[in-house]
Amino acid sequence: MPKKQRRSRDLRLLSVGVVLLLGWIGLGYRLFQVQAVHAAEYAGDGADQRVRHEALPAARGTIFDRDGVELAVTVNAVTVIANPSQVADPALAARLLAPLVQVDEATLHSRLSRDGQFAYVVRRIDRTSADRVKTLVDQVGLAGISLIEEPHRVYPGGTLAAQILGFVRGDDQVGLEGLELSFNQQLTGVPGTQVVERDRYGTPIPQGQLLIEPAVPGSDLVLTIDRQIQFATETALAETVAATNAVAGTVVILEVDTGEVLAMANMPAFDPNDFTASPIEAFRNRAVADVYEPGSTLKVVTVAGALEEGIVAPVTELQLPAELQIHDKVYTDVERTEPTTMSVAEIVAKSSNIGTIKIQSLLGNARHHDYLDRFGMGDPIDLGLPAVAPGLLHPLHDWCETTCGPSTSIGYRVDVTPLQMAAAFNAIANDGVWVEPTLVKQVIDGDGQIHEPDKKERPVVSKETALLMREMLKGVVADGTGWRAAVDGYAVGGKTGTTEKLIPGVGYSKTARIASFIGIAPIDRPEVVIAVVLDSPHGEVAMGNGTTTRLEFGGVSAAPLFAELAGITLNQLGVPPHGG
Amino acid sequence: MTAAVLRPVVADNVAAPPRLRRRPGLGSWLLFIVIVVGAFYGLIFSRISLDRSGFELAELQEQIAEEEARHFELRVEVAELMNPDRIATAATKLGMVYPAERTELSADVVSEPAVHPEMRWAQLRTLLSAQP
Repeated sequence: MPKKQRRSRDLRLLSVGVVLLLGWIGLGYRLFQVQAVHAAEYAGDGADQRVRHEALPAARGTIFDRDGVELAVTVNAVTVIANPSQVADPALAARLLAPLVQVDEATLHSRLSRDGQFAYVVRRIDRTSADRVKTLVDQVGLAGISLIEEPHRVYPGGTLAAQILGFVRGDDQVGLEGLELSFNQQLTGVPGTQVVERDRYGTPIPQGQLLIEPAVPGSDLVLTIDRQIQFATETALAETVAATNAVAGTVVILEVDTGEVLAMANMPAFDPNDFTASPIEAFRNRAVADVYEPGSTLKVVTVAGALEEGIVAPVTELQLPAELQIHDKVYTDVERTEPTTMSVAEIVAKSSNIGTIKIQSLLGNARHHDYLDRFGMGDPIDLGLPAVAPGLLHPLHDWCETTCGPSTSIGYRVDVTPLQMAAAFNAIANDGVWVEPTLVKQVIDGDGQIHEPDKKERPVVSKETALLMREMLKGVVADGTGWRAAVDGYAVGGKTGTTEKLIPGVGYSKTARIASFIGIAPIDRPEVVIAVVLDSPHGEVAMGNGTTTRLEFGGVSAAPLFAELAGITLNQLGVPPHGG
Repeated sequence: MTAAVLRPVVADNVAAPPRLRRRPGLGSWLLFIVIVVGAFYGLIFSRISLDRSGFELAELQEQIAEEEARHFELRVEVAELMNPDRIATAATKLGMVYPAERTELSADVVSEPAVHPEMRWAQLRTLLSAQP
């Protein structure tokens, strides 16, 4: 080979070698850059694309009635969302979606045409509609439309026990009223988290990174409410409120020996599934949040105290004037204008104001106050509900020596809730033992542990006094003002109450009354206590003999509702009738 | 002249004759290659199996979530069907009404009857009316 040719070959080889060397150096440099210098950065970028930190929502607890039927439950509903910037033809999408989601086309078009990258098309639709939308999106290829799942609180009973249950805010499922509010923390549970590697389609990568901190589900609540009795109570109360032209009404039904609330109904009512459609007044649980002056129903405490102290017996007779003036007040009895003599039992049966004041004067303010305190006046009852009113029992040192005792003895100057009065009568029904009413029977936490509230009870009068009081309450229905409370097949007892309505800042109303009846059924073997309170019933009702009577009296408007509910409740509880 | 004492050569000091090493035969090589390739494919197969199981697991978990959601929906449906208001409305449409009269059926009891309440009340009245 000529020398010149050999040199040329060597030069080419050298050139190729240099190029290859530089190439390898370049590759090595790049490799070093990728694998050593920026390794963590690139690994992080890759992980960001695959590894996702996801929240695991905790299922909100369910609220059951005493039989284990759902009163409030959370389900996953499907929501259709859109990315308007990706929707190519909003008019077409609106036309296709409108019949599937029951939203008019113009509204949908407006939602799909707005600026931004997120819009709700329709929230919380049923599964069937959701499946149709999914099929449409997949088949037609509607870009920018997708489906997500959202928790949705459902109240299968509609208006049933609405003021007890309350409701939650739609967006974040936070309790706003009722047990949903007061037990919000327990019902909510603790959300968990998971770290998972997913592919571009969102599918978990097998054997990828997976760290799970599971969510702790919210606690379930088991209530003492019997939904059949609750429904019957709500239905009957609604009819009574309408028939008596009342502004509102409340009924509380307690099981005697346990103090469990079997029903607690309020009118006006609302549907927690659509609470925005109702006025805010309808949300209030009047049985625990509203106070009123109990009137004659509180005479039971005055007389029970006097019996317990041995001051009077049911047969003790008292001389009663036609009217009684104390300081600047004149006390009278309804339908009595002449002086007379009445036994204590008659005073209770005929609801004599003057007779009760006489008994109170024998008892004295200090002992009277003590018995009011023992029967729970002025003490809030903790049912686990929010906004519970404590009521008002003036401290003894605030009692004047003139009219304070007499007025209190006939149910004025004391503010109570319907539940407090029901609990007081329950003490009479329960052989003199006051039992704190309960509404939440069990709290079952996320681990399945069952927690039951402590039972609070205390004796307030002796068993004998309670028996005597029941006997006299029986007389109220048999021969007294509460005859409309009689129940076919059962002996019942109770007390009527009618008070002028105290309007804050105005004084006593000239026309509006609070009418009530609180009774025990059956009176000889007490099973339930039923308290009925009607706000401002008015009008007249025919008596049958051609005359009429005014609905504003508890014995006229509230007592018949008691009778109806007592019959239904005893029947529901399986209490056999044994002659009235 | 002294005769040199001849000592026997110690065997240990004598280098052992080189052994003849047998080269691996073709069969061994083939076996080795088969094992390596088999292990390679086995590894891939096990990886694929694990991945497939992983996908199946993900699908099953998704299915469980769907069934749970369906279960809750059915529970709600049952609760809605048990709603007394719905039942009362349906019963009314069928022409059902609440009974106007209550009928009592008495049955002979096996156990001793309890003291009638009225008798108990009568005894109590006698006792307690003695109070002042």
